[in-house]
Amino acid sequence: MSAINYASKEIYFKIVYYGPGMCGKTSNLQYVHKAVPQDNKGDLVSLATDQDRTLFFDFLPVEALQVHGFTTKFQLYTVPGQVYYNATRRLVLRGVDGIVFVADSQWNKMKENVESFRNLEENLAEYEYSFDEIPYVLQYNKRDLPVIAPVEYLEYVLNRRAMRVSSFESVATEGTGVFDTLNRISKLVLHQLNQEMEARSRT
Amino acid sequence: MAGYSLVLFEQDVEQINVALDVFLRETDAKCVLVLDKGGHLLAVRGVTDAMDASSLSALAAGAFASTREIARLIGEPEFSVLFHQGRREHIHVSLVDEERLLMAIFDDRTTIGLIRLYAKDTEEEIARLFGEIRRQRDRGARALKDLNQGTAETPFPPS
Repeated sequence: MSAINYASKEIYFKIVYYGPGMCGKTSNLQYVHKAVPQDNKGDLVSLATDQDRTLFFDFLPVEALQVHGFTTKFQLYTVPGQVYYNATRRLVLRGVDGIVFVADSQWNKMKENVESFRNLEENLAEYEYSFDEIPYVLQYNKRDLPVIAPVEYLEYVLNRRAMRVSSFESVATEGTGVFDTLNRISKLVLHQLNQEMEARSRT
Repeated sequence: MAGYSLVLFEQDVEQINVALDVFLRETDAKCVLVLDKGGHLLAVRGVTDAMDASSLSALAAGAFASTREIARLIGEPEFSVLFHQGRREHIHVSLVDEERLLMAIFDDRTTIGLIRLYAKDTEEEIARLFGEIRRQRDRGARALKDLNQGTAETPFPPS
């Protein structure tokens, strides 16, 4: 959960990039790391296998604009996408404030997308979190590849809860859509914290 | 239930720092950190110049979470201590309460025995302080009203 520190004037949020194996979660973080100015980021830490597949998580701390004199610090994590790493995926979700679900737009990845989304819901439930409380956005990645599903179809398959969420087309390796996605989820978690603080100040 | 955000005021941080300073004085550890199990750094004291405390917290929380799963697999509810011995630097991570961890980094100027001894006292004191903070969780929101209105459309503007 987010933490507000009045002594250091900092607010921390944890954002997790979730999705099936090889959908582009790490590519999102790599692009953010490349694009954010040096003073506003830490190192990109990757716990990966020899084949560059995420083994545990990637981690990137980045600072956003100040809000009311507070520095907002976003800690970006990815999870390992491969099915058999579910235990580690669940661990990374602990204390999450916002989620980016990265879907692979290729037709032959639809089943994996749906299964990963369902797996996310199950893993959130382990912490008694749900999509009603945790802000999330969808990112339809790999829009530059030739055999991809239209956005309408991806929306039909993945964005079908009563409350539709924001979704973004992306080519993460080139940076297209990466910051649109990050800015949207950042706004949503800030808004969520604001709502919580208002509710707390009323009690 | 997604849980409550943690709000730390100046006086909370001061009290936590006092407890951490006592630990450093008694043990001669290089530095000591309080982090939550989600990987957020909550407080740090001591010499940290060459260290990236944020990454350290994220990785230590990950390592601790991973050993917890290992514990479950062998029928233990949780391991309460994690110790990594290096050639010169060593790390001791221990459980403070349900949500938080204490991490000490030390070298051969002190001993693991001394670290364990004083870590226990410090864990109890930190747990007590966070218990107080949790009991008063309805405070806050002092300067954070209209947080979203105060934010630009793009928290991460293009460089």
